[in-house]
Amino acid sequence: MRNIVIGQYLPGSGFFYKMDPRTKIMGVIIMMVAIFLLETIVQLAIALAIGIVLMILGRLSIIRIARGMRPLFVLLIFTFFFQILFNREGELYLQESMTVSLSSIGGIILLTIIWRLLARFKRFRFFLLLAYLVGIFFAFSLLTYGYTFTTFTFSIYERGVEMSVFVVIRLLVIITLSTILTLTTKPTDLTQGLESLLRPLKIIGIRSEDFALIISISLRYIPTILDEANKIMAAQASRGADFQQGKLKDKIRQIISLLVPMFIIAFKRSEDLADAMETRNFVPGMKRTRIHELAFNMTDAFASLFILCSLAASIVLRVL
Amino acid sequence: MSYIEIKDLSFSYTKKRQILKNIGINIEKGEWIAILGHNGSGKSTLAKTIVGLLEPGAGSITVDGIKLDQDTLQSVRRKIGIVFQNPDNQFVGVTVRDDIAFGMENLCVPKAEMLERIEYFATKVGMEKFLDKEPASLSGGQKQRVAIAGILAMQTEIMIFDEATSMLDPYARGDLMEHIKKLHNEGLTIIMITHEIEEALLADRLVIMKDGAIFADGPKEELLKKPDLFQGSALELPFSLRLANQLTGAGFEEVRGYLWESAFRK
Repeated sequence: MRNIVIGQYLPGSGFFYKMDPRTKIMGVIIMMVAIFLLETIVQLAIALAIGIVLMILGRLSIIRIARGMRPLFVLLIFTFFFQILFNREGELYLQESMTVSLSSIGGIILLTIIWRLLARFKRFRFFLLLAYLVGIFFAFSLLTYGYTFTTFTFSIYERGVEMSVFVVIRLLVIITLSTILTLTTKPTDLTQGLESLLRPLKIIGIRSEDFALIISISLRYIPTILDEANKIMAAQASRGADFQQGKLKDKIRQIISLLVPMFIIAFKRSEDLADAMETRNFVPGMKRTRIHELAFNMTDAFASLFILCSLAASIVLRVL
Repeated sequence: MSYIEIKDLSFSYTKKRQILKNIGINIEKGEWIAILGHNGSGKSTLAKTIVGLLEPGAGSITVDGIKLDQDTLQSVRRKIGIVFQNPDNQFVGVTVRDDIAFGMENLCVPKAEMLERIEYFATKVGMEKFLDKEPASLSGGQKQRVAIAGILAMQTEIMIFDEATSMLDPYARGDLMEHIKKLHNEGLTIIMITHEIEEALLADRLVIMKDGAIFADGPKEELLKKPDLFQGSALELPFSLRLANQLTGAGFEEVRGYLWESAFRK
């Protein structure tokens, strides 16, 4: 429960930091549309290259961004294999007959056990997964001994390879875009930007200010409530509760015994907080001034120009 | 007419049990008054009624000539600020700066003036170096001082402390009391709700509450002459008074009643 980082904001000073959060949010959305308009790997690769150049100019650490993407690698691998396996257009690149036999199933079980045993080396998780998948391929193609249940053919086509590379690069570019946004914008600024952008929703009776306030108060109370949870866990542990071991049923009971006091305390807190806000003249829906006012600057103007040019370029490429 | 007039004030959550019974207190501008009472005596309910968080069943509250009701609620709250017991549960902002600004934002103070006032009042409570800090990195005493700065920045004239020191350690408690003294000397009207007799003795006037009613009200020098009042309302006698009583019992006839500092100067 300790060391929880909310958002992934990293203090810095490049031009991404100087931009108004609204420009960044709108920019990410428009750029995503632009990326989806691109049709060839070459175009996408150029987009990725431009993105990397921008990150270098903006003094962002590419390693840091790559690290932030790690949890999404599984998704990338899945998309990659999905495209390779199921896209059957174009020239045939590789055809391999696969056997589901006693030996191949045994081999796969052995591979799975080894993979799980090595899973504690978290650093190499990605490579282990790759090795595991390759291992499964060879187990099916080479281990033909023993009783054979069925056979199938594994084939890779030109279009499959193309599409898998295309889709993976596209995903990478999109994830990079949103990572730049969250890495260079404080959660509070992000909230305020969203609030400002969603203000037109007032017409249909949704007040974005309320949501923004709720989010910013939630952000402010997350550490406090985590602290509280640690205290309650310590108090329960001192009376013999065990949060680490035990059967699933016991664990669920422990979590309930933690949640009940947490909820009671949270309700008490929110009541007190409402009192404190009310006595400081807060009236929901009333006009307020803001200490943090969002303002567009020259960086925003340049960024907007760049974003719109990119969109225009993609549209032109698509139409031609 | 007094600055704050509380007249025949009653309050109850249910019909059976009256929390406040016919409370009547007049408070003058610049006065420092301590409302003293045991747990459940109704003192915090009284505080919440004065700032309009609870609506009284009967009676009236008038602040600086404005009678408190639904229409005047906001203008009365501009005059009265309240610091609550739990330092964590009244910190609205993500940083110290944001929290001090919160009240002013609600009052539509222009940004430039807000920044000026934040600087000024943060310095006043000794928090000027912490403006960009998050509440998680502040101590309880520091959070209470931020709360005070936030209220002062709204230019209130009356400040209520609702057991504001009860969750603090002794050092932070002393420190906060020093800040309250300073504010009082600058002309702020102070209402301190507490069950700590030693803390209450810093005020000019004591109001003792018992079971939802006023049990005693007067200058502290007067009330200290009647130790029965404290014992009768389930309060501990001040240490100095207990000491004096023991000395008298041990034959030191010249020591009688509460030992004021002046008693030692002879």
